[in-house]
Amino acid sequence: MKVLGRIYLWAVYLFLYLPIVVVILFSFNNARYSTHWAGFTVRWYKVLAGNSQLIEAAVNSLTVGTLGATLATILGTMTAICLSRKRFFGQKFLHGGIYLLTVSPEIVMGIAMLIFFIALRVELGFATLLISHITLCLPFVVVTVLARLSSFDEHLVEAARDLGASERQALRHVILPLILPAVAAGWLLSFTLSMDDVLISFFVAGPDYEVLPLRVYSMVRLGVKPDINALSAILFGVTIVVVLLVQTLIKVRKK
Amino acid sequence: MIRAIRMRVMGGTSRFFRIAIALSSLWLVLFALAPNALLLLVAFFTRSDEHFVTPVLTLDNYIRLFDPTFLTILWDSARLACIATVICLLIGYPFAYIMANVRPNRRPFLLFLVIIPFWTSSLIRTYALILILKSKGLISELLTMLGITSGPVSFMYSDFAVFIGLTYTMLPFMILPLYASIEKLDRRLLDAAKDLGASSWRAFVHVTVPLTMPGIIAGAMLVFLPALSMFYVPEMLGGAKSMLLGNFIKNQFLVARDWPLGAAASSVMTIALILMVLVYSRVSRRGVRNREGGRGSGGALRSEGGMR
Amino acid sequence: MKHRLFRDRLFPRFLAAIAVTLFACAGFALPAAAKDAASEEKVLNIFCWSEYLPQEALDKFTEETGIKVVYSTYESNEAMYAKLKLLDGKGYDIVVPSTYFIEQMRHDGLLQPLDKTRLTNLAKLDPTLLNQEYDPDNAYSIPYMWGATGLMVNKKFADPATVASWSDLMRPEFKGRVILSDDVRDVVGFALKRDGHSMNSRNEAEIKKAFDFLNELKPAVRVFDVTAAKQAFISEEVVIGIIWNGDAYIAIEENPDLAFVYPREGAVLWIDSFAIPKGAEHKDNAHKFIDFMLRPENAALVVEEFKYSTPNLEVRPYLPKELQESRLIFPTAEDLKNSEVTMGVGEAKAVYERLWESLKAGK
Repeated sequence: MKVLGRIYLWAVYLFLYLPIVVVILFSFNNARYSTHWAGFTVRWYKVLAGNSQLIEAAVNSLTVGTLGATLATILGTMTAICLSRKRFFGQKFLHGGIYLLTVSPEIVMGIAMLIFFIALRVELGFATLLISHITLCLPFVVVTVLARLSSFDEHLVEAARDLGASERQALRHVILPLILPAVAAGWLLSFTLSMDDVLISFFVAGPDYEVLPLRVYSMVRLGVKPDINALSAILFGVTIVVVLLVQTLIKVRKK
Repeated sequence: MIRAIRMRVMGGTSRFFRIAIALSSLWLVLFALAPNALLLLVAFFTRSDEHFVTPVLTLDNYIRLFDPTFLTILWDSARLACIATVICLLIGYPFAYIMANVRPNRRPFLLFLVIIPFWTSSLIRTYALILILKSKGLISELLTMLGITSGPVSFMYSDFAVFIGLTYTMLPFMILPLYASIEKLDRRLLDAAKDLGASSWRAFVHVTVPLTMPGIIAGAMLVFLPALSMFYVPEMLGGAKSMLLGNFIKNQFLVARDWPLGAAASSVMTIALILMVLVYSRVSRRGVRNREGGRGSGGALRSEGGMR
Repeated sequence: MKHRLFRDRLFPRFLAAIAVTLFACAGFALPAAAKDAASEEKVLNIFCWSEYLPQEALDKFTEETGIKVVYSTYESNEAMYAKLKLLDGKGYDIVVPSTYFIEQMRHDGLLQPLDKTRLTNLAKLDPTLLNQEYDPDNAYSIPYMWGATGLMVNKKFADPATVASWSDLMRPEFKGRVILSDDVRDVVGFALKRDGHSMNSRNEAEIKKAFDFLNELKPAVRVFDVTAAKQAFISEEVVIGIIWNGDAYIAIEENPDLAFVYPREGAVLWIDSFAIPKGAEHKDNAHKFIDFMLRPENAALVVEEFKYSTPNLEVRPYLPKELQESRLIFPTAEDLKNSEVTMGVGEAKAVYERLWESLKAGK
């Protein structure tokens, strides 16, 4: 059973990673438009190195993604805790608002946000992008954290309170550790959304702060170029290295 | 009763909660409520070529939606999103379950592994899927090499390709909430069920599934709702032979420049959502009742009788 | 109580983090100070499709003038129009709209007239592509790149010599192997041409008739392509269908079995042009850039990189031989007989869109 489980686990991972492997493979493909293998080359990495706009967009995307996901996670976790642990005026409304956000089509959110920013005379750029991304990610964090909180054992908080913990201490030492996996999951989903959002970003991005998904999506007209594959491969490589590094650091610290 | 007293004791004292509520309410009013209220308003306005809309009230936009074309679009999108959600659940649940049962120190790593592929642009990944599914693509060549097929086969531009694509794109949105929910499942409850003579399957159906229901619902919503308005993947892999809701709305706003109609269509989606939330809060309230009922000795296991 | 609040640091820290972020946002968001018009800063904000201007040309421009190019992208004319309209023509110095969007934006007052005395290379452009209906006298736009939508067929499945008309898409041997684009005007355009009508028809009966043909054709269609059609042709997922000439050039390079045909009823033409939005802050730089791109040697870079045609007549000496002689890139007058440029259709737009939706939704 256990072996079967492992096999299943890795089969799904294979499904998830196969396209990435293909992307990396084709970043070394010696053909500009071909969808067939035409020999090995590192040409596209050199082309990428000369494409400063693309690199800048990638860096911008990473910045907005990290910051946006973190802030959305903080705000979303707070909201989820409130929703699950309190009865207060307007709770239903708050709850409804969260789901409203998930279902608003991106195009509507994008246009609404732009109108909103124009009305406030805010110049489009990093800040508008960040605010929009937080809004985009918020419901995903709330839903994920709420799912874990919704069958939360109240006894634990009561016990902590009985032992003299303040509400905040109970929050910090009891609730937060218990919901941490969901918080982490919420952050990961947020970052993913942020790295892939096109329509909202399109409307709220200013000329001096372009993000990667916009550049990629707009390539549809002429076909995706291999230097994008190279960039994806590099980003993927960096992520893997960082994850492995963190993993080892945790292990070392535990010892 | 006890719950009510506890609420009163805890409520009102904490500044944290007050600020948290204020902050998230403000955010939601600004960015969820205001745009959607605006949208609802626009849905009753008349289109204008000069300024997108003119404030002339009309019901025409909703009437126009009761057109067989839009109903077909709605039905196609709902069907697609439904099937994608079910597939994601069927693949994701066992996956999250197994992942939640590996050694705790390995779990974060496995979780990361699920999400990393999704940090590559979805367009790029969809292109990669095309390279895998197309005629003389990866699978085609593999099948030929193994002698299963004699010539190139293509899986592109079919429902199959669309579901592969949708599953691929949405899977983590199912796995992550499921994992968060399964991970905290008390395994002793399962052992207890087995001690009481339940088969593994019965224990799973009557203990595990009800207890992880919030995760299942959360995952289903996170997959279903975006899938409802997703159009890129079905277009690229399915050949765009039918129009989907997301594309319809986008077209109204950009191509046809008929904002009121787009707003009306979008509000139909919102109504569908409200219905779903109602169902959701019903189910989760039932969950709460079970937990309350289970307080004391038997815990969730005893209350599980009430689920049937 | 106070003591406790300070000891439990989670809460204050939390607030501090949020406060800092909000302040940071506010700082970034403050409207930039008014710019001195007399001495324009050395920046040019371009709003264009991604990878639509050769990087080499951009680098050369920056080197020559010291003007930094900031390149923002959009994925469709429609999206660009919506954003620029909402921004009231501010924020960008150059946009690259297609024909009927220039007409619309001009009409909406989103563009500013060009100062042609500063465009020294204007005389090198093909006069047949100038002074079009969408922008008489090119007061607001200068053509940058153009192309034609025609037919492509795979020689393995049919002799290209027998394919000459849009009607050939209906031939039974192509059933289920036809590719169309996902662009309503492109597709309806050729259906209208097939009936001998203008592809910019505003006549409801004509449009309906074109859609009748498309509804009949739909079972034969394998894909309405949202990406560049070349991929599906190269991997032989499809046998016949519509494609842009530049894409066709690349597809034939990859798969020599493919052939491109200019249909006898006429091809669907598109022209993408440089224009300066009304609220552009760097219009000096924008003029410099347009004139720079009009130089034959720079226009040649465009052709080499994207394989699409340039309106520049003096570009050939700068190109490799095979490009110079390609009828795909430089179609003859005979090839383009009966061809038409896509124009706005006014109120009929709603008819197009409604019928397109029902075409797509129909089984």
